[in-house]
Amino acid sequence: METVTDVRTEPVPVPAAVERKRGKPFATEAWNFLISLKLAIWTLIILALTSILGTVIEQNQPQDKYRQVYEDWAYNLMDRINLFDMYHSWWFLLLLCLFALNLTCCTIDRLPRAIRTVRKPKLILDDVTEKSLGLTERWKSKGAVPQWAEAYKAALARTFASPRVTETDGAVHLYAEKGVVSRFGAYATHAGIVIIFIGAILGNVFGFKSYLSIPDGTEASHLDVRGGKEHLDLPFAVRNNRFWVETYPSGQPSKYASDLSVIENGREVLRKTITVNDPLAYKGIWFYQSGYGEAGGATAQVSLKRPDGTSLGNLSLAPNEPVGIEGYGTVRGVKYDENYQGNGPALQVKIEKPGQPASDVWILQGRPEQDRLRNDTLVFSFGGLTSKMYTGLQVAKDPGVNVVWLGCLLLTAGMMISFFVSHCRIWIRLSEGLKGKVEITAGGTANRNRPAFEKTFAAVLTEIRKEPSDNAKENPA
Amino acid sequence: MNTLNVQLFDLTTFLFGTATGSYIAALYGKKEFLARIGTWICAAAAIVSTAAIGIRWIESYRMGIGRIPVTNLYESLVFFAWSINLFYLFVERKYGSRSFGAFVVPIAFFTMVFAFTIESGIQPLVPALQSYWLHAHVITCFAGYAAFAVSAGVAVMYLLKERRGGDKVTGGVLALFPDTKVLDDLVYRAIAWGFPLLTAGIITGAAWANFAWGTYWSWDPKETWSLIVWLVYAAFLHARITRGWHGRRAAVLSIAGFAATIFCYLGVNLVLSGLHSYGG
Repeated sequence: METVTDVRTEPVPVPAAVERKRGKPFATEAWNFLISLKLAIWTLIILALTSILGTVIEQNQPQDKYRQVYEDWAYNLMDRINLFDMYHSWWFLLLLCLFALNLTCCTIDRLPRAIRTVRKPKLILDDVTEKSLGLTERWKSKGAVPQWAEAYKAALARTFASPRVTETDGAVHLYAEKGVVSRFGAYATHAGIVIIFIGAILGNVFGFKSYLSIPDGTEASHLDVRGGKEHLDLPFAVRNNRFWVETYPSGQPSKYASDLSVIENGREVLRKTITVNDPLAYKGIWFYQSGYGEAGGATAQVSLKRPDGTSLGNLSLAPNEPVGIEGYGTVRGVKYDENYQGNGPALQVKIEKPGQPASDVWILQGRPEQDRLRNDTLVFSFGGLTSKMYTGLQVAKDPGVNVVWLGCLLLTAGMMISFFVSHCRIWIRLSEGLKGKVEITAGGTANRNRPAFEKTFAAVLTEIRKEPSDNAKENPA
Repeated sequence: MNTLNVQLFDLTTFLFGTATGSYIAALYGKKEFLARIGTWICAAAAIVSTAAIGIRWIESYRMGIGRIPVTNLYESLVFFAWSINLFYLFVERKYGSRSFGAFVVPIAFFTMVFAFTIESGIQPLVPALQSYWLHAHVITCFAGYAAFAVSAGVAVMYLLKERRGGDKVTGGVLALFPDTKVLDDLVYRAIAWGFPLLTAGIITGAAWANFAWGTYWSWDPKETWSLIVWLVYAAFLHARITRGWHGRRAAVLSIAGFAATIFCYLGVNLVLSGLHSYGG
C-alpha cells in the first residue's frame, strides 16, 4: 500500500485488484474492499472518533459511581455495549482487527509488485516510458554511440549513481537509480504496526500485572493477578528493607525510594534501591515504585533509665498494647498529644505495677528529665512517634514488550524512509542519428519531492554534458 | 515581581502581538514592508524567547532544582510558541511568502497570551517526572504540535482561496496567497515533519511509561488523545493519495487534526482527569 506520496511524478498504477474485478464476484469484491485506501481512511477516522468515547466516560470505575451519574436505562445500554471498558470491548477489538487486516492485505497485494519493480527495473527508455516521465531532455552530439555511452556512463556514475548499460538494436540505454529503499518505507511502517499488535497480544496472554504492598522489614511473594481473580506465587520473595521519602527544601517530595532485596532459596540474591523511574528487574519480573503508606498505627519510642542515669534500652509501644518490664510491671501508651498544654509533643502512658493502682503519666518529648520528678524506680523519656511504612510496588511481567519496541523501531524507520527518501531514476538513450551525429535522450523521475529532483536532474545533466565536450576537444574523433 | 525569564516571555508575547498586527495589516493594506517588519519582529521574538528559556533553565539550577524548562503548563506553552515561531520562520524563508504570517503567528501569540494568564513560577520536579525520557518525550511532542499548527494555518489559507475559485482569483487579499498547489503541498510538508515527530513523541512516552509504571499503554485520556491525533493525521496522509480526498478534504483533516492536537494538549488537562496533570 502506498502511503505518503509527495507530488506524484508517476501516473497512479492501476491496482491489480481493478483488473481482477471482472473475475469472481464476491471473493474479489471482498478482497477489493479489504485492500482499499477508502477502508484505511474510514477505519482510521472511526477508530479516532470511537476512541473519544472512552476519554469522556471514565473507564473501569466501580459500578456505583456510574449509577450516580447515569439513569438506569442509560447505564444498562452503556454496560451492554461495554462502554465502561470500551478499549477491551469486542467491537473495539474488532475495529483494531479490521485495521490490522487492512494493513496486511494491502501489503500482500502491493509488496510483490514493489519488489518486482525494484528487482527488474525498466532498463530501457522506450517511447512509452519516455512519455510517462515528467522530465526529459534531448540533444545531439557529433561522434559515435559507444564513445558517448562510455563517457556518459562514467559521468553518471560520478554525478548520480552507477548506471546499468543495455544495448538494443541501434541504441544504448543507461539506467541509474538512487533511494530504492523509498519503495519499502510504507511497508516497513505497516509491518511495524502489525508487530506492535502482536507484541501487545503476547504481553496480554503470557504476561501479568499486579500490585504488592510490603511493610518495612517484611517480604512478599504472593501476587493477585487479573483483578484478583487469579493468584500467583513468585519463585522468589521481595523484601522491603525500608521505604522513605525525601523532600525539597520547600517540603515537596523529591524522591520516593524503597530499599529492596530479592530472596531466593533463603539467600539474598539481589539488592537495589528503587525510585520512581528506576525499577528493579529479576527473572523477567519488574517491580516499580508506585505508592506508599503507613502500615498499621504509629509506635511510640520510649527510653528507660535508672535514676542514676544507667540506660536500660528502648521500648516500642504500639497503641494500647501493654509491654512488660521485668521486676517493675507493665507500661502501655494510651494517648498522644501533638502539643500537650503548650509543651510540645507528649505521650500519656499507663503504668501498672502488681498490687498497686494504675497510674497515668504524661511524658514530654522536649523534656527528657522531667519524669525524675515522679521519684519512681525507673525514669521514662519519650523519643517521639515513628510510623511503620509500607511500599506499594507495581509488578509486571511482559514478554511481549521487546516485540513492541521492535515494531516501534520498524514503524519509525519506515516513516523516515517514506517521508524523506525519494526513489530517483535517470535514463539516457543514445542512438545513431543523421549526419554522423548521436541522438541522445535523457529522462528522469522521482516518487517523492519532485521540485528537489528537478534540481538534481538539471544539475546532473549540466555536469554530464559539460565533461564529454571537454573530452571531445582533446580527441577530435 | 516577576523574575527575568518571565519578563522576557512577557516581552515575547508583546512581540508576537505586534507581529500578528503587522502581518494582518500587510495583507489588508497590501504593503509588503509591513510584512517584512513582521518577519523582523518574529526574528526578534525568537531571540528573546530563546534567551528566556536559557535564563529560566539557569535560574532553576540557581534554585537547586535544575531541570529542563518544559515541565509544567507555563513552560510547555512557551516552548510550544517558541517552536511554532521557529518553524514558521523556516517556512517563510523557504517558500518566500510572508502571507502565511497572518495565519500562523496568531497561534503563537494566543498561546503566549494564555501563558501570560497562568502561574509562571519555577517548581521543583515531582518524582514521576525525574527521568531522561522527559526531554525526548516533551521535545518531540511539542515540535510535532508546532508543525501541525503551521499546517493548520496554511490549510485555512487553502480553504479560503479554494472557496473563491482557487488560483483564478485576481486582486484582493487572496491573490497575495501562494497558489493552491503550493498551499496544498505545504499543508502536507508540515505534517510530513509533524507526524514522525508525534510518532516519536508517543513512542518515547510509551517507553517512559513502561519504565515508570510497567505499562507502555494504559488508555489514559492523554495517551488516547495522542492516538486520536495520530489517527487523524494518518487518515490525512492516506487521503492525500486517494482520488476525491486530496485538496479540500485533506485541508479539512489537517484542521481537524490540529483541533484534536489542541484538545490533547490542553483540553485533556483542563477537562478530563488522568496521569498527565501538569506541574504535579
